[in-house]
Amino acid sequence: MTASTRVSRRNFLAVGSLTSLGLTLGDYLFLRQAQGSETVPEPKAKSVIHIFMPGGMSAQESWDPKPYAPIEYRGEMGSIDTKIRGEKFGDVLRRTAQVADKMTIVRSLTHGEAAHERGVHNMFTGYRPSPALVYPSMGSVVSHELGPRNNLPAYICVPNQPNPSASTGYLSSSYAPFSLGAAPEQNGFKVRDLNLPGGVDEVRYDRRRELLEFVNCEFNNRVQADNIGAMNTFYERAFDLVSSNEAREAFNLEAEDGKARDRYGRNQAGARMLLARRLVEAGARFITLTYGGWDHHQQITANMRRLMPAFDQAYAALLSDLDERGLLESTLVLVSSEFGRTPKINQDGGRDHWPKVFSVALAGGGVQRGAVVGSSGPTASEPEDTPVSPEDLATTIYHQLGIKAEKELMAPGARPIEIVKGGQVRREIVG
Amino acid sequence: MSHATQQSQRFLQSVKGHYGLVTLAAICLTSIATAEEPEFVELAVYPPTAALHDAADYQSVVAVAKRADGVSVDVTDQVEWTLESADDVAASEGHTIRPQGDGHGVLKAKLGELFDQCDVTVTNSQAERAISYRHDVIPVLVRAGCNAGACHGSARGKDGFRLSLFGFDPAGDYQRLTREMSTRRINRALPDDSLLLVKAVGGVPHTGGKLFEHDTVYYEKLRTWIEEGVPNDLEGAATVASVDFYPPRVVLEGEGTTQRFVVIANYSDGSTRDVSNLAVFSSNNDTVAKLDADGLATAGMRGEAFVMARFDTHTVGSQVIVLPKGLGFSPTDDQPANYIDELVGAKLDDLRLEPSGTASDAEFLRRVTIDIVGLLPTPEEVAQFSADSSPDKRARKVDELLEREEFAKIWGLKWAELLLVRTENNRVDYKPMFLYSQWLKHQIDEEVPLDEMVRNLLSASGGSFDTPQVNFYQIEPDTKKIAENVAQAFLGIRLQCAQCHNHPFDRWTMDDYYSFHAFFTQISRKRGSDYREWIVFNRGVGESNHPVGGRQMAPKFLGGEQPETNGRDRREVVAEWITSPDNPWFAPSIANRVWAHFMGVGIVEPVDDFRVSNPPSNPALLDAIGSKLIDYKYDLRQLVRDICNSHAYQRSTVANASNETDTKNFARAQPRRLGAETLLDCVCQVTAALEKLPGLPLGARAVEIADGRSSNYFLTTFGRARRETVCACEVRGEPTLSQALHLLNGGTVHSKIGQGKLVPSMLEAGKTPTEVVDEIYLRCLARRPTTEEQSKIVAVLGDNEKPVAELEDVFWAVLNSREFLFNH
Repeated sequence: MTASTRVSRRNFLAVGSLTSLGLTLGDYLFLRQAQGSETVPEPKAKSVIHIFMPGGMSAQESWDPKPYAPIEYRGEMGSIDTKIRGEKFGDVLRRTAQVADKMTIVRSLTHGEAAHERGVHNMFTGYRPSPALVYPSMGSVVSHELGPRNNLPAYICVPNQPNPSASTGYLSSSYAPFSLGAAPEQNGFKVRDLNLPGGVDEVRYDRRRELLEFVNCEFNNRVQADNIGAMNTFYERAFDLVSSNEAREAFNLEAEDGKARDRYGRNQAGARMLLARRLVEAGARFITLTYGGWDHHQQITANMRRLMPAFDQAYAALLSDLDERGLLESTLVLVSSEFGRTPKINQDGGRDHWPKVFSVALAGGGVQRGAVVGSSGPTASEPEDTPVSPEDLATTIYHQLGIKAEKELMAPGARPIEIVKGGQVRREIVG
Repeated sequence: MSHATQQSQRFLQSVKGHYGLVTLAAICLTSIATAEEPEFVELAVYPPTAALHDAADYQSVVAVAKRADGVSVDVTDQVEWTLESADDVAASEGHTIRPQGDGHGVLKAKLGELFDQCDVTVTNSQAERAISYRHDVIPVLVRAGCNAGACHGSARGKDGFRLSLFGFDPAGDYQRLTREMSTRRINRALPDDSLLLVKAVGGVPHTGGKLFEHDTVYYEKLRTWIEEGVPNDLEGAATVASVDFYPPRVVLEGEGTTQRFVVIANYSDGSTRDVSNLAVFSSNNDTVAKLDADGLATAGMRGEAFVMARFDTHTVGSQVIVLPKGLGFSPTDDQPANYIDELVGAKLDDLRLEPSGTASDAEFLRRVTIDIVGLLPTPEEVAQFSADSSPDKRARKVDELLEREEFAKIWGLKWAELLLVRTENNRVDYKPMFLYSQWLKHQIDEEVPLDEMVRNLLSASGGSFDTPQVNFYQIEPDTKKIAENVAQAFLGIRLQCAQCHNHPFDRWTMDDYYSFHAFFTQISRKRGSDYREWIVFNRGVGESNHPVGGRQMAPKFLGGEQPETNGRDRREVVAEWITSPDNPWFAPSIANRVWAHFMGVGIVEPVDDFRVSNPPSNPALLDAIGSKLIDYKYDLRQLVRDICNSHAYQRSTVANASNETDTKNFARAQPRRLGAETLLDCVCQVTAALEKLPGLPLGARAVEIADGRSSNYFLTTFGRARRETVCACEVRGEPTLSQALHLLNGGTVHSKIGQGKLVPSMLEAGKTPTEVVDEIYLRCLARRPTTEEQSKIVAVLGDNEKPVAELEDVFWAVLNSREFLFNH
């Protein structure tokens, strides 16, 4: 086999495209090395809210309607104008259409994994799944790179870690997400164990901590292991959280006035997004929340009409609310799903899995206001221009957070692994 | 010599551009001089036999010499090669043999005083082999990556051209290659203009880039195939029966050292072929050993890697250990306690790892008690054990613990996880679930051998009340899932990938999947007389159809024969095969689960992912514990005794400089967070506060909960399995923030200390605060506080004579300590 086949296809293309600039491979490698020593990018976003729509949300019924396609492609739903001139959304996104001028829609996301867990892995980690190594999620990498802020856990999952790919991969389990363990939309929602138990005041609590130090001391000095280290870290985080009123208060949805709750909607989407805003406002770095189930192999119209209105209301409220509070510039809000759905409606009135082209929506954190990137062509079959890969998306998000995606993290066995391999910062998205 | 050189040059010319062997041949000519002859003790030539079947056939060989310290060196270019044969059957050039005439010969290798050889057989030396679609074209498409998942092998193809993933459907690929887009992909009039070739060499833009050059064997094979009229030899073509990968195991010293590997395919018609230039090479750890496209491994950092070659549907691998140059190391003089220590020790010597010291008596007692019975030693047991000065006290303690009934409970819990004991809406009511868990408890209490239990379970028919083991088939109705569950739970094999395509990293094909599935397609169910009861029976009809082409697949054992099933319940047949002592996975996978429970990490890890590309860290050890389990008639107690008495188990958790980064070779003990059920049981035990668990009387233990669906916040937070799948990953052992918060502020620790009232009652009984502290330490940590700990704690207690709150805070601190939460 020749040397070129050993270069991965992506690298090959990347180098290939440089030749038009008159760069040789040697120059390119030198440049890459130089990049490696360059200082980290200036962070624009301080926090990320990742709204994940599990199951594979249809783009044709939401961000990327095809009003001029035949009915079997277009589907039964209509489309409406948005605040971005000439661009339409599905007619279930009425309120979101009115804040589209705060957003960037990428309509040409593409990857090759049509199975849920593999697609999810792509979108959460920026890597294709590998049998040899488990990659960390973006949230865990952010936790690893940036650490906690204002005593809040860096990476929080609402209500729970949504899938195995949302976890730490090869990184230490210290960077695992904090799962609320309770759903914010439920009556009497409360995150457990944040407050001191009855009968334990500050004085007693301090005494307990002091005693715990004494008991732990000898053992922790003697025995070193990743899981013990992780437990130690979580105890530190727990102490930070418990001792900070502001941090604990961030989990208290009751503290929001009724108007705000109504604005977001008193339902799954509204409660989760409102809580995400509170957490971001208080200093959390990366919130992953899920809403609904979008694996609509059947009856896509009915399902979208059932699920979308609550999302529409909550999401539009979230973007406006963040903007009003001056938080949108420092908070990147990503709406994604593991893949999109087939161009044609199937015999059951649904659409099947389609990773070849689908849409994600971004807003805030330095993302362009009012832009559409790429196109899925007349029938949403494949990217017509500007294909964007999960690697690109992850690289761009990391870049906004001030994290260099080429940075190598250490996997077990002292294997240096790039945070994202071969992704580009997509200037179409972030300018 | 001059003759040889001439011949070499001819040879060089003849292969120029072919097979990418030019550089290797060149090395052979110039590598005579070596500075200093190291002391070798063993020489091995691979392959041991070579067969050449036609004029263009060839076989490359590799010679590996081993030093006394175990380090191996690729000496292919240093040995003196001579080919001895009566009638000059073949010519050897460096490491490649080519046919000259039919007959037998011996290729001899000599290195100093060491000898080894390769027997050579040549047949049809004058005949040309016809180009084969099955054996030439498909392998080129695999090797070049055309049918990889990210390229044309993706479910929808790529850029309008689809191939089956890794060539699992060669007939379909033939159709698409030759019949779609006629004359574009394949141009028989002008073979070089075929899009198949033009794209591959980058003659026109190709999303996949340039895959190979014009002057390679890959181009030549595809071109010849087109030129000769795209012959299709799928009907009746020999299939690849197995693939050999040589050398099987090497220990390389020094970064940059290389070792060449050879891949040989064995076909169903008995022929063999050197496929080193067609196999796809990979390594599971590139930083330790990287394998290039020619099968040349280069050593990197110190460590262990598994290098693999994939050809046809077979993936084969070899272990590569890399050591730094000049590492001072003397093997430990530790006398092995039993066979386990011998095998663990041999691997540690290979890796130059020094084992950690022995755990203290207190550590051992706590560790072995938690592992065997899922509870902590009582203060009395601690006192007894430390007072005992006989040399065999550890072995006696193991025997004593194994006699306790709690041992059976731990394994009842493990099996309940594997057998998916849980209620399921409209399928498994509480009553059948409860009977199922009672059945399991009975099996374990009565010490029914595991093979018998599994055989009975898998072949069971009857009502879910009176034959409750049929619930295994009732909980999961889908027969494909049942087949997958059986393979994963009892054989440690994950078949899931092969449902839709040949497994890319293992040997399993779609044929294997659907033939194994066929054992379970005749299960049927009907309602019993009670509305909660179901009857599972063998319908005697029902087949498994291959999704490509709809072929009906006859039942066939995984990697084995096609048994006669006429007139029998197919499940009985497969149950006999699974539990037979000859089954290569059943006993090792169970033994490995036992091993992982005690050592914190399996020899194969995850324990239910036995696959070629996930090899055992110590194959000899896995074999040994597997065959011991068979010898012991599947009595777990005897295997547990071997493990717990080994030094490997009794090591300290404290790392030394040489083993601190190693977690896979048992050089030291791995700290493990107590499992959800065990942790709750231990908290209840030490606080003397009873827990009311769902479905159980007050004070029953969490390991006894029958239903996988029953849980409480504590158990869920600490990772209790929900038993929705057979995957070992359902039990989660990693720490989380929620766990820390719950232990700090939650109901469990704080309230149980209050409920148990241990502190006030000990003070009432006249114990001094210092004695109470001692007692708390002994109960929870199986040791007394050190003088330093004692003095620091006493300072906090203050002058109060009965400092209840202060002592309860000590209790709280001990229960929150890492030393309590972990088994170490």
